[in-house]
Order: sequence, then structure tokens, then C-alpha cells
Amino acid sequence: MSTLALLLTQVVNALSQSALLFFLGVGLTLIFGIMRIVNFAHGALYMLGAFVGYSLAHWAGTFWLALVLAPLIVGAVGAAFELGILRRLYRRDASAFLLVTFGLALVVTEAVRLIWGPDALQVPAPKLFSGVVFLLGEPFPAYRLFLVAAGAVMAIAIWQALERTRLGLLIRATSQNAEMVHALGIDVNLVRSGVFGIGCGLAALGGVLAAPLVTASHAMASTVIIDAFVIVIIGGMGSFAGSLIGALLVGFVQVFGNYYLPDFALAFMYLLMLLVLVVRPGGLLGKEA
Amino acid sequence: MTIRPRLTRRAVVAGTGAAVASPWVWTSARAQAGGMIKIGMPLALTGPLGSVGQQQKRGAELYAKLQNEKGGILGRKIELLIEDTVGNPATCVRKAQEMVERYDCRLLTGITLSSEALAIVPKLAEWNAIFISSDNGDGRLTAESFVPNFFRANTSGPMGARVVSLYVKQAKIKSFFALGLDYAWGHNSVQVFEDEMKRLKVNFIGKVFAPTGTKDYSTYITKIRQSGAEGVYLVLAGDDNNAFLAQAAQYQLASKMAMLTEQIELVALRAVGDASVGLIGSARYAFTIDTPANKEFVELWKAEHKTVPDTFEGEQWQCMKVFEAGITKAGGIEADKLRPALEDLTIESVKGKVLMRKCDHQGVQKGFAVKVVKKEGFDHPIPEVISTFPAEQTTPPCNKMTYED
Repeated sequence: MSTLALLLTQVVNALSQSALLFFLGVGLTLIFGIMRIVNFAHGALYMLGAFVGYSLAHWAGTFWLALVLAPLIVGAVGAAFELGILRRLYRRDASAFLLVTFGLALVVTEAVRLIWGPDALQVPAPKLFSGVVFLLGEPFPAYRLFLVAAGAVMAIAIWQALERTRLGLLIRATSQNAEMVHALGIDVNLVRSGVFGIGCGLAALGGVLAAPLVTASHAMASTVIIDAFVIVIIGGMGSFAGSLIGALLVGFVQVFGNYYLPDFALAFMYLLMLLVLVVRPGGLLGKEA
Repeated sequence: MTIRPRLTRRAVVAGTGAAVASPWVWTSARAQAGGMIKIGMPLALTGPLGSVGQQQKRGAELYAKLQNEKGGILGRKIELLIEDTVGNPATCVRKAQEMVERYDCRLLTGITLSSEALAIVPKLAEWNAIFISSDNGDGRLTAESFVPNFFRANTSGPMGARVVSLYVKQAKIKSFFALGLDYAWGHNSVQVFEDEMKRLKVNFIGKVFAPTGTKDYSTYITKIRQSGAEGVYLVLAGDDNNAFLAQAAQYQLASKMAMLTEQIELVALRAVGDASVGLIGSARYAFTIDTPANKEFVELWKAEHKTVPDTFEGEQWQCMKVFEAGITKAGGIEADKLRPALEDLTIESVKGKVLMRKCDHQGVQKGFAVKVVKKEGFDHPIPEVISTFPAEQTTPPCNKMTYED
């Protein structure tokens, strides 16, 4: 393998990992931006997305339907949770949200175990992307290229939605001053339910997309929640662009770090976070803490 | 108003007891508590190796259920104490200690990770407890870390590596690279395999270790391909194994090199499907092993679970059979009686004859090389036995992890 081919495959690998991390991070950061809630159930909902995706893909015989419906279903679960439970807690302090979202994580994890059983389940990559593409003569999984494209499309779509649509305007306004938005006659509660649902749906989208790489498994929830927090802390809590930069940094550091210094594979992400916290305690694009 | 102080107090005591008692403790039969044979299983039921712990649980539960229907062992019912350790050695020691001290349980099995087992064995003498391993791979448990109250009924990591190396000798693969999980078992097995390859004059190009819970195996796959080796040796389990196999298939790694693995489990074959076809490895247990005891066991398993038993379900079953034979021979479960009874005990097991040799308490047993194939009647690929190696070849010399020939 030539050095150039190696570099290229590693870059695309890093981009594909960053795409998966981005779906997690952006959902978490949107929810935090609007509601000032750290959603501990984010990893569990990511896992739920993978399992719902498994069932849909098997039921419909196509991955694409799972890719569309699983995020919608999990998003609806998230919105219902906001409506039914979180809404009652807004006058309490932050610890109430930590407890209740942690509780949701436990409930989702056990529910998945009861419904789908304890074993990992296979979600094959869609036929269209199950082969390899040659990058400078080196075979590379087409599915990973698809992940890069999906990540880029979603990043642009979310960015445009935040900047150009009325919902985006409301989200940005609510995150800056919810009381003022409320005073202007907007139903802030509806915005909150919507954003919580969207954030959960994005996590589920990440889960469905990750499933062909790692299978749908229970450990997804616990291993991924830490990555999501690290991304949000690096990028800055509540910052959309920050979550994108955080995901890219973590993706690249993990892939290149693992390759050149495999013994320190676990440490790189945390070292990066430490560095960011020392230089900019509020995260790269966050408000100064 | 009538006051019933006795009833109230009893209710309070019962309530407190229920609240204090751990929710995972499963009591199969309540009567004759003093006479029951308690077997403690601190298992990794959740976490990356949760699927292994779940298999061990199912294996032991079916055995206990069927044996209790027959009246138990020595007329005493079997009670399993099952707790989740999440695969954490400190938690495992704490839960095992609780079983010993609170429930007076002196028999242990099913400890899922070798790192957990290595943390447990120094405590066995103090606890006066016997621990029969059903899946711990680390060779040190019957070598430098050996303690008299430890027995290993299962095929160890070095034995699995040995089977692969005996197969490599047959298949004439000339160069290897190795990928292992970055903890006790992974390092130990890769080391044994490396030594074996060096003795066979096979070019061992290099090795790399991945932390448990790795989601992206692309860098490791790149390294394996770059090595240019003819074969790759894998020491992976659980979710890591699934992730690696799924991703390696997407890279079409198997078209470049032979993929050999230290252990093949059905749970992984179900999880990754066709991505596992063609994989060759040692199976500590496979439902396709051709022995009368195994045929009987597979039928019992099908009747209960409507499916065939997996690797650690078979291994746990064999381990329970060792307990049964040992306790029957000793006439009790006290460590002082059970230890000598287990030494040089022979049983006819699902894998054929198993001898619990006295020198290092390793179960001397056959080794099986299997190939993953698709077969009619199964909705997932299955392991087919392609070579059976005699126990003398697969079991290392006493207290050793390496082989001399």
C-alpha cells in the first residue's frame, strides 16, 4: 500500500467515524442549547435506533425504510418523553434532569433487552453499498463512503434548517432567551418537545447507520455516550458548529492515533478534551464558562 | 384495634430482607436451605462480554433445572446464585465475597473474564471455596497463578491457540499477523500463538491489540492488510468480535488472507451472518461435535430453548458435569473433600473424555478445529468440525502455557 493510498483511506475512515459521531453530538448539543439539559439517555436512544432499525429492515426487507422510519419512531419516543415527563420538571434544578434522563436510559436499555433479547443482531449494509470501491488501487468499503456523504448532507441540512427556516429561527431564539420568545406569543413548550424529539431522532439515525459496522448490540449505549459528551465538551455546549468540529477532531484523532500509537488508543480522545478544556474551558465554540 | 406485634415484626423483617437481598439472586427452590448445594456465578451479564456471561447463565440454569428434577446431587437440590459483574474484576471480587460471606456459598463457577478470575483466585484459600472455571482462557491460571482450589474444566486460551497452530501446520500457511483484545486473555493467547509460530518456523510478522469496546476496526484492518501476511490470527470476543468481522467483510479481508480465530461462537455467527463464512478457528465447544453425550445434550437443549447450544453453553454444561462427578465422589461440597475428589477425576463429557489432571487442575480434553459454513436447515452459518486433535497434543505440559514439540 502506497503512503498516499494509506493516507487517503485513513482520512476517509476518519470522516466516516466523524459522521457517526456528529449525529450523536449534534442531537445532544441541540437539546442542551434549548433546554439546558444534559440528556443521559442519548446513548440508549442511539442503541434503540439500531434495534428498531434492525426490526424495520427485516420486516420491510430494505435498509432504506429503516433509515427513514427508525429516527422518526425514536424521535416520537423522545418527544413523548419530553411531553409526558420532562415538562413537569422545568422548575426544578439540573439534578432532576440528570436523574430522570438517566432513568430513561435504564428503562430503554432494559426494554431493548426484553424485546430483542440479550444477543447482538445483524443489520446488513444496503445492497447498493455492500461492495468495495477502489481508492488509489486499494479496496475500500462503499458503505463508509456512504456514511461520509450522509454526514455531509445532514450537516448541511441541519445548518440550513437552523439558519433559514422559521423553526431554526425559533430554536436559535429559544436557546438565547426562552422567556422573550414566550412573551412574543410563541409556544416555547412546543419548540422544546420538537427539539428533544429531533435530537433523539438524530441519535437514532446515528444508531441505524452504525449498525452495519458494529451490529445492533446492547453495549452500543454505554460506549457511545462518553464519545458524545466528549464531542459536545470539545465543541462547546449548545453550539451546532462546535459539535461538527468536535466530531471531526475526535474522529481524526481516534483513527490516526490508533494507527500510529495503538497502545494509547483510549487516551487520545481524553487528551484532546483535556487540552481544549485548559485552553478554552467553555469548548472551542462555546461561551466562556 | 387489635395489635399483632409478632406479625408486624415479621413483615418488617421480611420486607427489609427483600430490600437488602440483591435482586439478581435467583433461588430455584426454597426448601431445605441448609442442605442445598449453592453454586455462585458472578457473571458479566452486561457489558461488552455480556453475551458470554448470558451463555454461561443459560448453560448452568438448564443443568440445575434438569438435575433438580432428578433430585439434585447426593439428594441435595442445586441453587444458583447469579450476579452481574459487568466484567469488572473489582466488582467480581466484591460479589463473590458477598456470595461466600452472606450466603455461605463455597462453590464458584462462571466468572466470565480471565482478569476477573485472576482477581478471584488469590482469595479462594481464605474463603475455603472451590472455583471451577467454565470459560477462563488465561494460561496463567493453571501455571504461575495456579492455586490448589482452582480447577479449569474448559479449553484454555493456550489450548485454543495450540489447535489453531496444529491446523496451520496442516494448512501450510507461511506468515501471520495477530490481532487480540487488549486485556489478559488477548495478550496471553497472542503470545502463545506467536511462540508456536516461531517454533513452526512460520514468519510471525507482528501483532496489535485493540481495547475492548472498540467500535471502529478500520485502522486495525488497515494494519493487518499492510502486513502482507498470508493469515491473520484473531483473539476477539463479544461485541468486538462482531464489529471486527462485520467490518473485515466490508473490506473483503478474507479474499486477501486466511482468517483464523481462537474461538468461534454461534452468537457471533448469528450477529454477523455471512460475514463469518469461511472463518476457521478452534471451537472450545461446538454443537456439531460427534459424541453420544453431545447428541443427548443438544436434544435436551433444543427441547428447552428451541435452538442449538452455543460455545459457552456447552462449556458450562461440561463444567457442571465436573461439579456433579466431583461432589458425588467426595460425598459432599467441603473444599477439603472436594479438591482431592476432583483431582484425576475423569468424566465422559460432551467433548468426549475429560480428565481433571492433578498436577495443575487443567481439564485434559480434545481440541476441535472448525470452519464456518452455511448449511440447510439453519438460518445462520454454523461451525463444522474439520479436524479433531487428541488431548495429548492440545493440552500443555503441567503448569505450562507453552508446548515442547
